[in-house]
Amino acid sequence: MKKFRAVQKACFLFFSFLLIGWMLGNGASLWASGGEGGAYSFPEMAGWKQSGEIQIYSRTNLYDYINGGADLYLKYDFQELKVAEYENDRKASVTIEVYRHETPVHAFGIYSQERLGNANYLEVGAQGYSEKGVLNFLAADCYVKMSSVDVGPEEREVLLAFAKKVVENLGGKGSLPSILSSFPREGEKKNSEKFIAREFLGYAFFHSAFTADYELSGKKFKLFLIEGTDQKDCRNMVQEYLKHTENLQNKVEEGRYQLKDPYHGGMDFYWKGNYIWGALDLDDETLRSMVLKLFAEGLENKKINNDNRNKPSLPQAAGY
Amino acid sequence: MADNGMDRRDFMKSTAAGFGGFFFLSSNEIKPEETTKKPLKEQKIIYRTLGKTGIKLPAINMGVMNSSNPNLVRAALNSGMVLLDTATTYQRGTNEAMIGEVIKERPRDSYVIATKAHPPENRSTGLYTKEATEEDYQKKIDASLKNLGLDYIDIYHHHGASVRESVLYEPVMKALEKAKKAGKIRFIGISTHKNEPEVIQAAVDSKFYDVILTTYNFKQKHQVEIRETIAKAAAAGMGVIVMKAMGGVQLQERAEKPVEPVPALKWVLQDSNVHTIIAGFTTFDQMNLDLSVMENPTLTQSEKAHLQWAAFQTGLYCQGCGQCLMQCPEELPIPDLMRAYMYVYGYRNLSHSQDLLLSLNLPPRVCGDCAECPVKCSIGFNVSRKIQDVIRLRDVPAEFIA
Ligand code: SF4
Ligand code: SF4
Repeated sequence: MKKFRAVQKACFLFFSFLLIGWMLGNGASLWASGGEGGAYSFPEMAGWKQSGEIQIYSRTNLYDYINGGADLYLKYDFQELKVAEYENDRKASVTIEVYRHETPVHAFGIYSQERLGNANYLEVGAQGYSEKGVLNFLAADCYVKMSSVDVGPEEREVLLAFAKKVVENLGGKGSLPSILSSFPREGEKKNSEKFIAREFLGYAFFHSAFTADYELSGKKFKLFLIEGTDQKDCRNMVQEYLKHTENLQNKVEEGRYQLKDPYHGGMDFYWKGNYIWGALDLDDETLRSMVLKLFAEGLENKKINNDNRNKPSLPQAAGY
Repeated sequence: MADNGMDRRDFMKSTAAGFGGFFFLSSNEIKPEETTKKPLKEQKIIYRTLGKTGIKLPAINMGVMNSSNPNLVRAALNSGMVLLDTATTYQRGTNEAMIGEVIKERPRDSYVIATKAHPPENRSTGLYTKEATEEDYQKKIDASLKNLGLDYIDIYHHHGASVRESVLYEPVMKALEKAKKAGKIRFIGISTHKNEPEVIQAAVDSKFYDVILTTYNFKQKHQVEIRETIAKAAAAGMGVIVMKAMGGVQLQERAEKPVEPVPALKWVLQDSNVHTIIAGFTTFDQMNLDLSVMENPTLTQSEKAHLQWAAFQTGLYCQGCGQCLMQCPEELPIPDLMRAYMYVYGYRNLSHSQDLLLSLNLPPRVCGDCAECPVKCSIGFNVSRKIQDVIRLRDVPAEFIA
């Protein structure tokens, strides 16, 4: 009986904790949460011990941890941050921040906003890079940021060893968004791909988009790809865009659009099915036609619309 | 220190600020503004001078933190905005680099750059850690110069101070002073988004800082205190820049209906001690809307009403009108229950909320006998849902929330 009471009490206390956590986190539990990264626990590491409590931040208080930077994380559907600090006998320290986002694409999005093209890239998680005292990487729906103080010459190895264990605990490294493979390879700047979660190009009617930077024939430009939920969604976006740029047309049909945007200058894009792809900052029309054709081929070849077999097929390269 | 806790006196004070004492100036209290018409888009621009720095700035400028769109920054500058605000940490310096790309096409005197860095901090005390050295801070300033591609930065803010001791933290002050002497920065600022009155007061007392950048909006429960310390800063010749005029993304998301930006910005500008606002727009439409505030910055009656409504909605304030009391067959003290809810979700003060709940002599089953709640709250609260959310706190052992 005594034992039963003790269990009953423990359960009650546990649920009390959950309740308080839920209330303070406005829905995000502090002790366990849904999603892939929810049950995440920090790894053990020989020679290091965790110092202090694990800190947990939700959408409502991320601001307390990263100040004004929090707004952008919220726009990338940030869910929860867990922070652990480790110390060794020599008082060196390592801090690990695990930012969990709503989807792996959103985690990639915020990671892509913060990585530099010329960083020292590493094979860790889906992708990572290191700088002095820093190792950041992407794994599944988490963006992980690690930093060290006073670790000494073996700093990079130490951070990498921690990173590998963190990936194991996250239950897999995940991958970069597969849709990126449809971007033309010719002239693409390595690691320049980005995911813009909202308001692409500064227009509320464009939701998210993938972009990549290019340099070809001495021209620097950007290519973009918007993945709509369906054909109708894309039609609405194109319609709104034409209205906004005062290029009103009676009938909005799939195909190529070349127009002048008051803020972005010359705009050249295609719409077909649930995809809109185009070029920005490229004034050479021949080059534009070529890269957009390559893009269409990429979309076709990679068969990224496999899961949408019933929808209109992507355009054939011929005719572009 | 931090403003998490709130006693009854504070609650009454904040409630007064939020309702009856809601800060609106009458038309004859509003100072005439210096204005100009920009020939390009006929955009009317109101200028105010940033304290003793002498920098003339439009009343609305751009906080670039949420945008990686260089054409939006170009459009802001083309529309007459002058100040671009960023930070070394925003997108790990890529935000500064993006701004650098835009401004390199323009004359140096056509824009003003403000950036900032936050020293390593113990987050529970707000005090800086041993890693917050003068050398470390100097490196941050140099990194900003490099990212922006500039020889000097107009305003460098000591970012995110939340207690007096941090405002006066010598290694950071020395680094800033040396950078100013070396011509790397023109003016020294301090930014705060927590415990603002204490931070601003300390900055005024220090006579060290030229500019303050503070959170200030119509939804803050301590807006009166902020307003008073801003007045002291302005009187001391400091420039006053406001951020989060609409309360920030997380508050916007919690609102049951979005807050309109124009009244929120006008509310800040009616305080003549505020010299400019950095608006964190991310679309061209938002930018144009924010700029339109300068056409007529006086709050209209309907805008005032919207702000009052929005303060109640998003601030989780029950108006205490009592309209619900006669509607509940169980005769629950609904306004008190709404207050308990506000303590948890607004102020994160669970013990206050629990004390209140226990004092109300509520029945064991609250709302349990109603298939549907007939209560129509005057400001649209879903009363029964809020009651069910908060009532669970009654059963949590006090030692876990003390
Ligand atoms: S649900 Fe609750 S608040 Fe609504 S009428 Fe019933 S007891 Fe009153
Ligand atoms: S009707 Fe709404 S605002 Fe009025 S007292 Fe009741 S809960 Fe509060």
